[in-house]
Amino acid sequence: MGAHRPSGASARVNLDLHSHSIKSDDGRAQVDNYCLWIRKRELPIDGFVLTEHRQFDFESDYSALAREHGLTILKASEVETEYGHVLVFGVTPALVAEFNFADIRLPLAKVVEASERHGAVAVPCHPGRPRVGMCAHIGERGVPAGVRIIETFNGGSRGSEDADAQAMAARLGYLGIGGSDAHIVSHIGRCATRFARDVRSEGELAEALRAGEFEAVSWKSKS
Amino acid sequence: MEIEELKSKFLNKDFDQREFPVRAEAMVDFAQAVGETAPHYTDPSHPEFRAVPTFSARFHGRRMLPEDFPRLGGIPLDAGKAVMPQAPIRAGVTLVGRSHLHEVYEKTGRSGRMIFLVARMEVRDPANTLVSIVDSRMVIREKPPSEDASNGASGVGT
Repeated sequence: MGAHRPSGASARVNLDLHSHSIKSDDGRAQVDNYCLWIRKRELPIDGFVLTEHRQFDFESDYSALAREHGLTILKASEVETEYGHVLVFGVTPALVAEFNFADIRLPLAKVVEASERHGAVAVPCHPGRPRVGMCAHIGERGVPAGVRIIETFNGGSRGSEDADAQAMAARLGYLGIGGSDAHIVSHIGRCATRFARDVRSEGELAEALRAGEFEAVSWKSKS
Repeated sequence: MEIEELKSKFLNKDFDQREFPVRAEAMVDFAQAVGETAPHYTDPSHPEFRAVPTFSARFHGRRMLPEDFPRLGGIPLDAGKAVMPQAPIRAGVTLVGRSHLHEVYEKTGRSGRMIFLVARMEVRDPANTLVSIVDSRMVIREKPPSEDASNGASGVGT
């Protein structure tokens, strides 16, 4: 965890909730370079969450980096289920012991249930994406139980993928978050989630998501 | 064969060994090809003359995978190479590269399921000092029943 924005910062906080560093097999960005890019380009985000693929990075400590740049840097995971990829916020050692994060055939129901039991929040991401998004699987598998939030703005979406996600959210009553899904430095901050109150730890993030006090935002057309 | 079975049968077992004589001319050629101008990489008479850190990217084993590794089907593609320099490579020595399968994992992306195989070559000098680690990554992409060209891979990210 690392949160080092000045106290008294705006109550409305923009966090990019979906990004990858070199800790992910396909990530090409170093975390310090994300920070430099955000500050150099004066991006309108207050921090970002590293959602490494099929793992939780217990090892890295970004608190010094967060302090140096005045950003919030949090950690989460992106796991793979029969409904596609799912972000898990508020991961704890106890949750990691519940299922194999590297398994690409995780049952979504198990991920949702275990996450809730451990105070975490599971959020299907890029739902409009072929094969690895929830929209592609609902017809065959039905509407999954327990999902309350999906990613409605994803920085890597193409064509109508975000619109499809937003339509599904409207139809099924889901809340929406935004994340860049950055794998390279220049993609950070393309989308984010705006919280009504400050978020400074993984626990506070999970709490804020459960409280539903947020909205998805996107700057993709401006980048 | 399941991923876990592949791991237990093939991971961390040497399947190839090859010698690589290191000539000063080849080191200079490589340095110049990558745009290096520092004399300790380009001038063999320099007292600290050594190969540029990525020099061992040119080393290839005789095999990419163990001899009895099963055919997994799908579409194999080169997924990149990573070089981790450990110690200076000097001219005039013969290095030995030993390869083993370092990692097997699978993932899903917009183009479907993919299996990644990482072959690791450990390169040692005549004193048995580890001078370089070279990871060669191969991806085998499962061909979906109805290939949709419009959903092809983008190159970065899943």
